[in-house]
Amino acid sequence: MSSIKDSVTVNEDDANLLVLIIDTNQMNWTKVANKQAMGNCLTLQQILRQLLAFINAHLALKHDNEVAVIASHIGVSKFLYPIPTTRQKTRRSHGDSDQSSNSNMYQRFRVIDDQVTSNMKALFENEALKSCPDKVSSMMAGALSLALCYINRITKSDEIGHIKSRILIISVSPDSPYQYISIMNCIFSAQKLGIPIDVCKISESDNSVFLQQASHITGGRYLRLSIDQSRGFLHFLMKTFLPDRFVRRHLCLPGDEKVDFGAACFCHKKTINIGYVCSVCLSIYCQQLEECSTCRSKVTNGVKRSKTNESL
Amino acid sequence: MPTRIVSHFKTNIYDYLEALPKTTLEKLYEEPATCLAIFRLLPSIARQLVMSLLFDKEGISKNDLIKWIKNDKESLDKFDEAFDKLTKLQMIEQNEKLTLNESFRYSFQDCLTGCGSRQSFGIPLEKHKSKPLDISLLDQYAIEKWENILHFMVGTEKSNVPSASVLEVVTKANLMRDIGGGKYEITNKGFQFLLQDVNTQVWAILIQYLDIAGVMLNMNVVEVLNFFFMLGSLELGQDYSVEGLTPTQRQLLDDLENYGLAYRRKKGSTRYYPTRLATTLTSGNAATVSSNVNIDNTDAGEDSATEQGFIIIETNYKLYAYTKSQLQISVLNLFSELQFRFSNMVTATITRDSVRNALKKGITAQQIISYLTAHSHPQMKKRPSLLPSTVKDQIQLWEMERNRLVVQECYLYKDFKTWSDYEMILKHATKLGVVVWSNESKKMFGVTEAGHEHVRAFIKKKMAQRKSNGTGGNDNFMGNGVNRSTPIGYGDSSNSGTPAR
Repeated sequence: MSSIKDSVTVNEDDANLLVLIIDTNQMNWTKVANKQAMGNCLTLQQILRQLLAFINAHLALKHDNEVAVIASHIGVSKFLYPIPTTRQKTRRSHGDSDQSSNSNMYQRFRVIDDQVTSNMKALFENEALKSCPDKVSSMMAGALSLALCYINRITKSDEIGHIKSRILIISVSPDSPYQYISIMNCIFSAQKLGIPIDVCKISESDNSVFLQQASHITGGRYLRLSIDQSRGFLHFLMKTFLPDRFVRRHLCLPGDEKVDFGAACFCHKKTINIGYVCSVCLSIYCQQLEECSTCRSKVTNGVKRSKTNESL
Repeated sequence: MPTRIVSHFKTNIYDYLEALPKTTLEKLYEEPATCLAIFRLLPSIARQLVMSLLFDKEGISKNDLIKWIKNDKESLDKFDEAFDKLTKLQMIEQNEKLTLNESFRYSFQDCLTGCGSRQSFGIPLEKHKSKPLDISLLDQYAIEKWENILHFMVGTEKSNVPSASVLEVVTKANLMRDIGGGKYEITNKGFQFLLQDVNTQVWAILIQYLDIAGVMLNMNVVEVLNFFFMLGSLELGQDYSVEGLTPTQRQLLDDLENYGLAYRRKKGSTRYYPTRLATTLTSGNAATVSSNVNIDNTDAGEDSATEQGFIIIETNYKLYAYTKSQLQISVLNLFSELQFRFSNMVTATITRDSVRNALKKGITAQQIISYLTAHSHPQMKKRPSLLPSTVKDQIQLWEMERNRLVVQECYLYKDFKTWSDYEMILKHATKLGVVVWSNESKKMFGVTEAGHEHVRAFIKKKMAQRKSNGTGGNDNFMGNGVNRSTPIGYGDSSNSGTPAR
């Protein structure tokens, strides 16, 4: 029996906490749906159905496995499950009335599935969120921070270090350079806490540079699915992202090995491959500056031009 | 020792399932709840294999599947073990390609997606409006019923004789012996049973019940097992309806009440409530361990931390147990010497004699250690290693002490006339792998009973050869021939050759 507190070793009988971040940006989902041939339309709804089966599969693996679901929406990120207790209670009692109708499903699966779907619905019906100026990018950084905070809380409350966590991001939106710094900060915190970040990117051609780095640095898996492939979405999820941290030591998981280390500049938030780096604080700029805007150090001869690929 | 020691409920139920015929397993796999429960018994690699094959109709070849596994020895071993288990449970079908068993695949898909209409996760009812059932009441009921059986086994004064069906199962399971006159005596296996965690105990009893149910009560084993697994998937504190249960399962419910696994307000009521013993059947031991402690402690305000564990051991073999339970104290008494008893705790020491007493009863060192680990006080859990390693090692050493000497019956070959004869025959015997012991300076060696025939035939053949060749008058290999019935005691691998003690 192992109850020694140790963040590195992973045991077979550890419980696993999976924090699932779903990109719920409907703009980009519509884009994905439009790109497909008629008949095999991949909508958020379908993806959600398959994700719920995946969540159930995760919970089925072990009786003490836990899950948390976060929506990374336009301009906001929200917990879909678990939600704070006060609301949970009202929902529970509400759900009790129609409980007798379904005994075909494991109680625990149903509670989680119901909550995720109803909260997702509520999220889309929320009018206030529709007036957000930035319609293209999702709040990935916010969702990542929420996930990390949640994991931190759960890990702290678990005295014997029995719970091992990981994060899985389902992403459709392109990178938002405005979030570069916050995402990088999240990645490094995750690295420090020893939490792998897995990424499943659904996109025809572009890789997400930031998320690719996220999984590379934290030791997670990055998998890009083209839209044709995503018809077998659930199967990909099962093969690549279901194995927990213990089993991964024994499996060869699919995923991209090549990583693009591109960065976004701090001044105009442009994604660049070659730029200027402050010699004091390593801030990245796309043009020459007299003074570093981050650390205020005077750069007499201008910041030296160098490849960010090497500096990171 | 005739009794098999089962240390974990998983091995227990797993062995039972493995022995079932294919048709029975096929029937079992029709129930999603059963599929989920059996799935959770599998080793983790096997679980991943099942998941990866679950939504795959065509299947893949074994070679392709192995590519998924890392190419090092440990991983491949784990894969083989997992694959072996899946095959034995008939979960994987191997034709040209590997596929999951069809009924298992469909039921488990239903289980994950919530489709189907098997209603295998119990029919929940709305809470009783006027008097909803309290969970603590359920716990108390379960503990009372279960511990009553254990108390009866230990023979404490306050025990009542359990019902006839319980008694039958307990004697059938060889945990107790009928010594006539309506009296029962605990067996060695019973002592081991007491040290196991509650979950393993419950399963041990249930499996014994299954054996009886199939033969004597004419119950359908599939229905009984399905019911057990369904109980494992129910929610604690939820009302469930007996509707949808088969007549067999209703009859079963009556019996399970005797063990404290299910509760009904009165006999024949249409509602039943699974207790904690039942709902944690398939999930492991964490939740039920707590219920075993402090039976006398009915104070509702009891600190939950103390319920989880109550034993503190110091490096000087002193043991402090914060418990009032007669049952726990009797269990402790199996392997330690009790010293003082206070109103809320007992102190004891673990000595060589006390541990040897336990070992003589058939209890293993591992069982003692796992009992101490499972019941250790939360204060102990804060230390880097749970039990003091001196105590742990010493208990194991005491056990090894008893195993230093192994007795094996063998045939001794001695008094060889020449060195070359000795060498030749020894070489042949070694090749057969039957040599138990040999000594060069004395020109002696011993072979196992099974090997004796072969070696003797070899010698005879050689003697006949020599005679026909006519080389010299000495046609005897040995002066005295073979000396039978000389059992040689020899030590274990560490001091081979020298009989210990």
